[in-house]
Amino acid sequence: MKTDLADGQTLKEMFASGTAWLEKSAADINAINVFPVPDGDTGTNMVLTMQFALEEAKLNSDNHVSSVAKSLAHGALMGARGNSGVILSQFFRGLAKGLEGKTHFDGGDFARALAGASQTAYKGIVNPVEGTILTVLKDASKAAQEAVKNDDALVSVLEDAVKSAKVSVARTPSLLPVLKEAGVVDAGGQGLYVLLDGALQFLKGESHKIQYRRPRLVVAETELVPRAAQRPSQLEMPHGYCTNFALEGQNLNLSKIEKDLKKKGQSLIVTGDDTLVRVHIHSFEPSEILRYATRLGKLHEITINNMDDQYVEFIKMQRERMPQADIAMVTVATGDGFFELLNSLGNIIIVPGGQTMNPSVRELLQAVESAPSDNIILLPNNKNIVSAASQVRSLTSKKVKVIPTRNIPQGIAAFLAFGYDMNLEKNAQAMEKAIKKVRAIEVTRAVRGTRLNGLEIRKGQFIAMLNDEDLIARADKVGDVIFEALGKAGAEKAGIVTIYYGAEIKDAEAQEIAQEIRDRYHTEVEVVYGGQPHYNYIISLE
Amino acid sequence: MVKVVTDSCSDITPQLAQELGITVVPLYVQFGNETYRDNVDLSTEEFYHKLETSKIRPITSTATPADFAKLFTRLAEETKEILTITLSQAFSGTYTAALQGKAMVSKNCHIEVIDSKLGAGAQMLLVILAAQMARAGASLDHIVDQVKKAIPRIHIRMTFDTLEYLRKGGRIGKAQAFLGGLLKVNPILGIKDGAAFPIARSRNRTQGMDFLVNYVRGFSQIEALAIEDATTPDDLQALAERLKDVVPPERIYRSKVSPVVGTHVGPHVLAVAVLEAE
Repeated sequence: MKTDLADGQTLKEMFASGTAWLEKSAADINAINVFPVPDGDTGTNMVLTMQFALEEAKLNSDNHVSSVAKSLAHGALMGARGNSGVILSQFFRGLAKGLEGKTHFDGGDFARALAGASQTAYKGIVNPVEGTILTVLKDASKAAQEAVKNDDALVSVLEDAVKSAKVSVARTPSLLPVLKEAGVVDAGGQGLYVLLDGALQFLKGESHKIQYRRPRLVVAETELVPRAAQRPSQLEMPHGYCTNFALEGQNLNLSKIEKDLKKKGQSLIVTGDDTLVRVHIHSFEPSEILRYATRLGKLHEITINNMDDQYVEFIKMQRERMPQADIAMVTVATGDGFFELLNSLGNIIIVPGGQTMNPSVRELLQAVESAPSDNIILLPNNKNIVSAASQVRSLTSKKVKVIPTRNIPQGIAAFLAFGYDMNLEKNAQAMEKAIKKVRAIEVTRAVRGTRLNGLEIRKGQFIAMLNDEDLIARADKVGDVIFEALGKAGAEKAGIVTIYYGAEIKDAEAQEIAQEIRDRYHTEVEVVYGGQPHYNYIISLE
Repeated sequence: MVKVVTDSCSDITPQLAQELGITVVPLYVQFGNETYRDNVDLSTEEFYHKLETSKIRPITSTATPADFAKLFTRLAEETKEILTITLSQAFSGTYTAALQGKAMVSKNCHIEVIDSKLGAGAQMLLVILAAQMARAGASLDHIVDQVKKAIPRIHIRMTFDTLEYLRKGGRIGKAQAFLGGLLKVNPILGIKDGAAFPIARSRNRTQGMDFLVNYVRGFSQIEALAIEDATTPDDLQALAERLKDVVPPERIYRSKVSPVVGTHVGPHVLAVAVLEAE
């Protein structure tokens, strides 16, 4: 059966619906990251990436599907956050390539585009791993191609693709041992499935139902450990508008206001009593928030700031401090202590990582473009930003060297290795060498219970990660987890240990730990305030 | 035969000076009202001891034009050709003083004054090169030519474990870039275009020493090597041990960093200087 051909508007609506569906699932998806660390938000990263894609598509008034697909691809690339976001942007790039030159598309076109998207996504990753979003995409595209043989209607092709994606997600733990051990399905794969499922609901004319329902996590084929409840994910990234106001009224219901506004933005803070409420929220549509609030009472002290402008100001201010260097450094950091520390060590443009430590490609690009040199060294300081940082290279005419710093201790080691008399190449070499000599221990609380590396971990227990790869220790007391981790990380060989303590830690506590390390290992120990969220301690061994 | 003169910032030891026929003009070190001639009235060891213990920050000052004039006049008794190699102008007025001293000499003698654009062990290697050519009977013009050509082939790196002395100093140019850091570092300094230049930062002494060793080992052909400490002979010995195979032992020169540089970098300085083969 041949249905009407779909146009660009359809494609837009499909992914708008998919994104709405994905947004509802974001918290659940965040919860199934393998490592129970608080900043590995795959769900949030995918949603943010999709929001950028849709923003870009919205600005495009052209109704040709090829043009809309291109906008989606460009937007996704600019907004890509985290690994899953980058893969998502590769998906849209492939889709745009497949739909190039077309005004309309049918199931056959979509299946071919999906196949191209799968290939593009595989190519974009240095070491593709099966049992991830890549596998899910590949399986979905295969199913779509099969479906075309029977019926090339878009809706039926997508339906088969979604079904296959679901099966594929369920199979991820059997392909990737680390998922199996943790008892979760792949978060990125789950996200892709939900996105496509949401798109399918639009084609079926069911997208209005999205607001009343919520996507369920695909259940793994293998037996799963029951999941603990999740904290909501928070974002502190500058984008959109920061809206502040005081609301005066009678019988104001704080919790209801909080609940209602939560849907409209991020970084929400609601304080006050039943006659006066203060609201702080980040959103793309401040008018919607004000409209909501005016229905409840009188508004005072309204301020709306464009956070992108604030960000540009911030970059400008940093730029004025730069010397006449031929190489500019751009880095990502989170925590006021780290901002101050990095600034004290020299001229460097800092992109605030926000709560998730995951700035978008666009934010990195802005920093690179604003840097006072055509030679840029980019230190991502997070394994999830390395690929986003690599994307920046193809988006700027500047020469950008990405040093794959996976954590802030590596970033600081690289920064210190910066040689004022060396060219870009030589500096990059020196930095790559320097980061190999650093081991980083990051201590946080598990956001859920899980099993990893043969360790049973309860929610709220302290856990320590080594080099963002291995969970090497867990304990109920922070001191215990630190010393177990230090032992496993080979602290006795370290020449200097640096303790960066987080926003919620007191200096005295950090000093005590430092003294104990000195006593036990007879090594030099320095204590520095990092001010990072989530991580109580970040410890560097050199 | 050409007579070679240099200032005490070259860190040339009295033994080496005597051996190679080099005349060393001392700079002055002042602690408050007390003035000493560098390495004459106050040995380098004594200087660092005072630097660490005295509350008064020492001031170093250049040799005077009269010092040079007197020396040149004396040397003119025995030679018609004098070559003077001074510390970089960026660090001291010694070069200007030497030129002024030269102008005060009435005897018929050809005096050349060269700004080494270097200091410490790096200056030492340049002076040694000149003295060796002089002893081999080379003409002043030839030596001047060769010395000027050798300057770009000489490189120095030094590391030290505190920024405290640099902070109190103030005449050490771009090295100030290292100040204000909230992390404890062992800086690596070099000399570029005649001035101190920040090279890199290491986190502790071990890393700093590793840097020096790797730096020297990075040269494919080394003609001569100078290694220096101030108050840490064990570290110097360790450094020498790690570098003993890069160049034959007779071309490795050990010395102590003189007060002019020492005032800025402190008693825990370690330095390496390399004369790269042509």
